[in-house]
Amino acid sequence: MSEVLKPQFTGARVTRLEDARLLRGQARYVDDFEYPGTLEVAFLRSNRAAARIQSVDVTEALAVPGVKAVWTFADCPITLPDRPFQVGQPVLARDEVRFVGEPVAAVIADSRYRAEDAVEKIRVQYEPLPAVVDSRAALADQPRRVHEHRPNRFLHKTHVTDGFNEAFQSAPHHLELTFRWNRQTGVTMETRGCLALPDPVSGRLTVYAGHQSPHGLRGMLARLLKLPEHQVRVVVPEVGGGFGIKAMFYPEYVVVAEAARRLGRPVKWIGDRMESLLADAHARDAIHEVAVAYDDEGRILAVRDHVIGDTGAYAFPGFPGAVGEANWATEMLTGPYKIPHVSIEIECVFSNKAPLGPYRGVGGPIGAQVQEAIVDAVARALGKDPVEVRRANLIGPEDFPYHTPTGKVYDPGSYGESLERALALVDYERFRKDQEQWRAQGRYVGLGLCVFVEPSAMAESEAGSIPYEAVTLRMEPSGVVTAAVGTGPTGQGHETTFAQLIADQLGIDVKDVVVLHGDTDSAPFGGGTGGSRSGTIGGGAAIRAGQALRRKLTQLAAHLLEAAEEDIRLEAGKAFVAGVPARSITIRDLARTAYTDVARLPEGMQPGLEVVARYQPPGAATYSNGTHLAVVEVDVETGFVKVLDYVVVNDCGVLVNPMIVEGQIHGGVAQGIGSALLEELRYDENGQLTTTSLMDYLLPTAEDVPRMRVEHIQTPSASEGGIKGMGEGSLIAAPGAIAAAVSDALAPFGVFVTELPIRPQQIVAWVQAAKTEAQAG
Amino acid sequence: MKIRVKVNGRWYESDVEPRTLLAYWLREDLKLTGTHIGCDTTSCGACTVLLDGKAVKSCTVLAVQANGREVMTVEGLERNGQLHPLQSAFWECHALQCGYCTPGMLMASYALLQENPNPTEEEIREGLSGNICRCTGYMNIVKAVQTAARKMSGESQEALEEVAANGASAD
Amino acid sequence: MFPNAFEYEAPTSLDDAIRLIREHGYDAKVLAGGQSLLPMMKLRIAAPAVLIDINGIDELKGWREVDGTLRIGAMTRHAELEHARELADSFPLLSRTARWIADPLIRNRGTIGGSLAHADPGADWGAAMLAAGARIEARGPEGSRLIPVDEFFVDTFATSLNEDELVVAVHIDKPTGPVAARYMKLERKAGDFAIAALGVQVELDSNGRVAKAGIGMCACGPIPLRATKAEAALIGQPLTDETIKTVSRLVPEDADPTDDLRGSAEYKRDLLRVFASRALHEIAEELKGKVGGQ
Repeated sequence: MSEVLKPQFTGARVTRLEDARLLRGQARYVDDFEYPGTLEVAFLRSNRAAARIQSVDVTEALAVPGVKAVWTFADCPITLPDRPFQVGQPVLARDEVRFVGEPVAAVIADSRYRAEDAVEKIRVQYEPLPAVVDSRAALADQPRRVHEHRPNRFLHKTHVTDGFNEAFQSAPHHLELTFRWNRQTGVTMETRGCLALPDPVSGRLTVYAGHQSPHGLRGMLARLLKLPEHQVRVVVPEVGGGFGIKAMFYPEYVVVAEAARRLGRPVKWIGDRMESLLADAHARDAIHEVAVAYDDEGRILAVRDHVIGDTGAYAFPGFPGAVGEANWATEMLTGPYKIPHVSIEIECVFSNKAPLGPYRGVGGPIGAQVQEAIVDAVARALGKDPVEVRRANLIGPEDFPYHTPTGKVYDPGSYGESLERALALVDYERFRKDQEQWRAQGRYVGLGLCVFVEPSAMAESEAGSIPYEAVTLRMEPSGVVTAAVGTGPTGQGHETTFAQLIADQLGIDVKDVVVLHGDTDSAPFGGGTGGSRSGTIGGGAAIRAGQALRRKLTQLAAHLLEAAEEDIRLEAGKAFVAGVPARSITIRDLARTAYTDVARLPEGMQPGLEVVARYQPPGAATYSNGTHLAVVEVDVETGFVKVLDYVVVNDCGVLVNPMIVEGQIHGGVAQGIGSALLEELRYDENGQLTTTSLMDYLLPTAEDVPRMRVEHIQTPSASEGGIKGMGEGSLIAAPGAIAAAVSDALAPFGVFVTELPIRPQQIVAWVQAAKTEAQAG
Repeated sequence: MKIRVKVNGRWYESDVEPRTLLAYWLREDLKLTGTHIGCDTTSCGACTVLLDGKAVKSCTVLAVQANGREVMTVEGLERNGQLHPLQSAFWECHALQCGYCTPGMLMASYALLQENPNPTEEEIREGLSGNICRCTGYMNIVKAVQTAARKMSGESQEALEEVAANGASAD
Repeated sequence: MFPNAFEYEAPTSLDDAIRLIREHGYDAKVLAGGQSLLPMMKLRIAAPAVLIDINGIDELKGWREVDGTLRIGAMTRHAELEHARELADSFPLLSRTARWIADPLIRNRGTIGGSLAHADPGADWGAAMLAAGARIEARGPEGSRLIPVDEFFVDTFATSLNEDELVVAVHIDKPTGPVAARYMKLERKAGDFAIAALGVQVELDSNGRVAKAGIGMCACGPIPLRATKAEAALIGQPLTDETIKTVSRLVPEDADPTDDLRGSAEYKRDLLRVFASRALHEIAEELKGKVGGQ
């Protein structure tokens, strides 16, 4: 089977095929669909963190003109799956509310305006209960159990390497740090929403939703609504951002779908931004108590990490967020370093806050920040250059496949090379010299590094647990290709990247490949998008499907051109005999023949040109890597941090579209700046979320994100196409790089960042404390 | 209340409740769904349109306030099916990913270039500081605006390609 | 997310506007730029039964200088003042303040009169008008009056306007001597509300000493506040490092910040001191050029 000799589109900066409609305002997101007779839903959400529901009076609400129904749990008694922690969220609160923002009742009316008017008229009697808001207290079931039937701590696991104690105790040096990451969330620019359309004739239910796993959503809806799976159709239209937030299965979708089914009318719900901040999957919210054992050279010999993760009031089916955050932070705790011993203890608790789910990187951002802070702390303790300490610990090319003490196996990457390249891009030696001068002038500029390893293409992620991906290809009689994929893109450009891979297999123009996705009626059963799986697994499937179709085209061309199959080349829209370009036939003619001139087909060949391929990569995961380098200036009098420069060296294997990869990196870095400096979901001591709008949950603007330089290294994976996933790496690394840069800037004051986001007031307090101490001492 | 508004060069007449916000009137009454809603607090700029030539957040203007006035939305950027240089530049420079902030970003950029045809990078970032993007990190958006500015002021093709590849020189 | 239903009036003359305000009293709110009022109505924090839209009243627009006083119409948009180069020399605080307000899109709609009448203690114009020693021209059924800015802000979202009065203009006296001003604001990201902000305007006499000083602060109390002690300490002084250090320390003493999401009271006081120091140093530097050193 001959390989594609001259990939024309793979690796090229192809401008995106999806852009025309987006640029012209013609794209259709969920809220852009209009069907006659659509009813709209507004939810009454709990304004208590913890309370028993004594009564819900909907009489006044029902009297509002235009209101068709007002539901509580009694009207819609569905509960999300409760495995494995014996806790399932009722889609509308039953007997008790457990977080501010939890849906209590749903008003279904002829317009959102009237639905909201009616929500204001619902009377709920609450009996307040003490709210569980502190994760350490929650561990001790204080002030109470969030779920009466079970302790707050729902997960406790440990992992200790053989010989850990010996290695830890015998080390010459030790240090301890406690890290705290406050709650954050993804904030997709398009809020969540869905539109359900019942077909009264067939009984089928069509659900439009901005979702990362079309088939996953279909399966869950079918299950909960007790419908046969083929009677549910999920259509994911244009989606305004996902970041993991839209991979979860939310109660609102069930209520809307059930309402459509029972009322026999289209029903729509579009969340507003307050609902989004209250009830979209939250993230991070973990404490890491770390102890490090190291030697005089700065080699890190053993790391202990005790993690306390707060998952909120419920565990999302299939993805309890705090577990994901803790697992992936600790599984990747040793990052790109040869740290032989770890002792990990994870405790996850329920609390009276919104449920945690996956947000880009999942545990990676915390893990990478902790890991790099450990390295920087060791460097500082020994008075060594943090780069030297990294060099002393880095996994080298000779160490692959590298077995981490957490049971992961890293395939080859360019850890050290990415570090050296990043340093060269900023002229590291020069920077340190300049830094001394700046400090003498009273300017506090710092440089932070984050050398990261990104697990990608795992069998399980927030997208679900489908270890393969599916692509169907149909070459139309005209020679253009319609592809359908089982992924769930939300801006990553799958319509272009898959087209590039397919076009190269078939020797046709990338513009002659149309990629469909998101509609379970046409997309082959697949795993959606999450855990950076689409490039590797989806790309692999696209290549395999392309190969299968190429085989058939080659066979047909060989037959029609009376040549041997191995002499046939597919290129520039033609099939020709190698070395004899005049002996050729256009792909279009091949296609036409395959469908309508079947007498000319070789014996035994079926008419038509359609294939379906499913691909599962050889390894349990493939690991991208890179180095982020941030330069910041800290105004020590106001605490304001400005990011001056940002460099990324990224290795995600074979690049399909470097422009799209860079775009992903830029976006993750911006989110990382937000994560490190701005973003915080703050609950008060009563469990009230005080940051319920974008006035308080701060996102970086174009003035807050610097220009970035990105360079690529390509260490191929072992999977088809050599592609590694990379969508999350930038958010995995950026917060750590920024935090490290702030620590470096404030090193003269002995400051070391251990809590994110970094607040300006905190910086001023640190600096003033250091100054006071210096004066006293 | 009856209103008469010129949108993308065409006069529309409508009878609206005064509480109707311009963004919703455009989307629901005129079916121009290119203008998007991204927040509740006038914070994100996804709804940016031009009102009498000035970029405004249409979620914070009443439709009745547009009575007798001119509005331009993203649908009005193209002419006879030809993309505006800003739209082409966004495309060439990969200045959009999920596309949700893009209409607002295009309109704010359009207004910026009307008032300042040759902005520095700093001026572009400042001019777009009312428009939040969660996908792109703004890097390619800035490049796209610079590219469009050059296109619109008639610079050479080579110079444009240079900018598309490397960004403008430090401004 | 959507406002309550309301009646809508769009008068085209000032007299009509005042008549309507008088007629509806507390049931009505005036709609100027709407960038503060409409968000509140969308969240249903404000729910007026009547909105009186004054965007169509031409006499409220534009500015002119008359007898040494700049009269800025209430409907002047923030963006207009931000870009008014011709005002930069004599009225340096205007552009410097305007560019910090919210973001460019909001600045295209929001108005100086609307902002002052709304009286959000975090609003930038409040601090700047204190520093500039402005007077607010209010008109009611009985006629016009000028309210000194120090008497204008009464409480959070409350001014000394009568129920039937409208802000029609802001008056700022043209400085007679060399003048420089700065506006300093700490926001964690572009468009954010101020953690603390400070406007400073200094006029020198012919001996290079401070003849007039205005220091206004916002986001540090229930209303925008004047740093009276600091101002007094500046009068008659040269702008030396010593003076600036002393004066900066006095600024927070007239502030009244509280602990909130954006920071502690102590932190905000400190920011005011830092901003006062930086502003005065920059002003001193700029004025050196104008007077020829001290």
